[in-house]
Amino acid sequence: MATELKPGQKRLTPGAIFADIAIVAWFVFALFPILWMLLLALKNDAQQTSTYFAFSPTLENFGTVLSQRGTDLTSVDFKSAILMSILNCGGAVLVSLLIGIPAAYAAGRYRFKGSEDLMFNMLSFRFAPELMVIVPLFVIYTQIGLFDTVFGMIWVLQLVTMPLIVWILRSYFEDMPEDLEQAALLDGYTRRKAFTMVALPLVRPGIAAAALLSFIFAWNNYVFPLILSDTAASTVTVAITKFLGGGGQAYYNLTAAAALIGALPPLVLALTIQRYLVQGLSFGAVKG
Amino acid sequence: MGTLSLRGVRKTYGSTVAVDDMTIDVGDGEFFVILGPSGAGKTTTLKSIAGLVDIDGGQVSINGVDMTGVEPYHRNVAMAFESYALYPQKTVAQNLASPLRSGRSGSFSQDEQQKRIDAVTSTLGIHHLQQRLPRELSNGQRQRTALGRVLVRPADIYLLDEPLSHLDAKLRAQMRAELKQIAQSSSTTTIYVTHDYQEALALGDRIAILREGRFVQIGTPEEVWRTPVDTFVATSLGQPEMNLLPGAVRGGRIEFLGGAGSFPAPADLGLRDGQTVQLGIRPSELEIDRGHRPGGDRWLRLPGRVLLAERLGRQVELDVHVGDGQLIVVEDSDHAAPEGSEVTVQIDLADVHVFDGASTAADDGEARVHRAAPRLGSALGRHSAPMPEEAHQ
Repeated sequence: MATELKPGQKRLTPGAIFADIAIVAWFVFALFPILWMLLLALKNDAQQTSTYFAFSPTLENFGTVLSQRGTDLTSVDFKSAILMSILNCGGAVLVSLLIGIPAAYAAGRYRFKGSEDLMFNMLSFRFAPELMVIVPLFVIYTQIGLFDTVFGMIWVLQLVTMPLIVWILRSYFEDMPEDLEQAALLDGYTRRKAFTMVALPLVRPGIAAAALLSFIFAWNNYVFPLILSDTAASTVTVAITKFLGGGGQAYYNLTAAAALIGALPPLVLALTIQRYLVQGLSFGAVKG
Repeated sequence: MGTLSLRGVRKTYGSTVAVDDMTIDVGDGEFFVILGPSGAGKTTTLKSIAGLVDIDGGQVSINGVDMTGVEPYHRNVAMAFESYALYPQKTVAQNLASPLRSGRSGSFSQDEQQKRIDAVTSTLGIHHLQQRLPRELSNGQRQRTALGRVLVRPADIYLLDEPLSHLDAKLRAQMRAELKQIAQSSSTTTIYVTHDYQEALALGDRIAILREGRFVQIGTPEEVWRTPVDTFVATSLGQPEMNLLPGAVRGGRIEFLGGAGSFPAPADLGLRDGQTVQLGIRPSELEIDRGHRPGGDRWLRLPGRVLLAERLGRQVELDVHVGDGQLIVVEDSDHAAPEGSEVTVQIDLADVHVFDGASTAADDGEARVHRAAPRLGSALGRHSAPMPEEAHQ
């Protein structure tokens, strides 16, 4: 007789062992660029191109990126670029939530003439390459004075965030039983009250997820800030690449350090927002 | 307190007609039951009354006022949803307080609210659960909370969508009695939707039987039980279902069960010789002949053999082989015949329903729904309704 397996204990078969090895191999392959970037960020200028894994590590690069010397090297203040990114992306997400939540509710609850076309149009912003529209946008922005302004960046970045928020939240609203708001209507509440009192609290996890995801997408956007801003409203993605130098020496170690610092705000946001991402909040509302 | 009238209400979903040509008048304080199988349009009817779905034709009036274009929150109706629709983030007490706080069902002070909530939760047996969230309740408790959210408030009309369907049998019987009492004391007009014929017969002042979005028959429980308009209504009421037996007119007599049973064809039914009919006999109205009934023409007697006897508590369900068919008979278990014994079953001719024979196989469910045969009368004639009996199943 085979020995009995404990819960969670795996059977040791050649297939299972091979699967474990394959998973580990995949992780190494997938995470290696991040590891490489971390190593690079710890190297000094002399060793940045001449070593692999053996070098004398230093934290100096992080200090350089955030200091006046980093600003001198790139002509972009990295700290203010981070602040600008937070302002631009936060603003875009906020605008998208204010307009997108009611839009998603309408799209999820009501079918009207052309509603599907409208939704598809909005989604098509996501498949259209940004480079396709960037030249006319640049012309328009310079003409009406939106070039290199926070307002202009928020306006263009909400093209990135809005479709995501509307599409994600629409499915949340669709999944929510209509009976709930109908019950509120019969309790004597108006449609607006039924929305704010019943529907909105139940899609909170969806709002958190959509806001986080769209914030990350906006944060990672490179083409819009590269072309539509200069120094005043430029974002962290653009600032990172400035360390590669424009004609002078390329500071790969500083670039890596800047990229790691630049990845922190979305990470922190993701960790703080995590507890709102819990599922199953509507459990118990209707018979299951 | 309120009256309700529907005039030719019609509602379609795409090409599917959910409700069609629905016309009823429900009086003030009446307890009106809509009985029908699932998918018959019961919930759509309620939501049309509540204004939650826009009807495609006809008119809904409450207290004589046309409700076309009136928002649900202005109609002063309360509804218990079949899906409960409890607010998941609110406790039982907060769920019940919701209609009282909206200000549209009247204004209630904090004390009055709590008093009403306490009264209703006590009646429904969920008083101790007031501080629980819906997800911490069983389905039966959720359903009672949903019912409570209706009963806690004053309204012109209560709309109850299968409010007892998820309670266990014992609690259901208890709640049914409770509901009947509440309805009588509050005298709020109530539209009650169910697929359970016992609830319908027990609670309804009147019952409307719904089939595929249309009312087939509207009447008092007595009427729909005694004189069902067709085989659909007849088989909707009663468990086990009414026996439907194909028969034919031969020489002035209606013969059935391969000639094992026959009785003179009532003259006023206008039956032609050779015409086929269906006979409807309720299992509970059949009995084993123990010589306790005086003879006479009123009694139809059928010799047969008991194939199967199922004891169901106080009663026994017998499968009796008669002629070339089978009859289901429900008898008191005190004088049940054992399996295999030869018996004679008998029934008052007034309790034998004669239906048109157009619809064929009695056990073909599809045919029964779509081609229900109209009732022609009883075995004693068109106008001779069955005699009232002291107790029916």
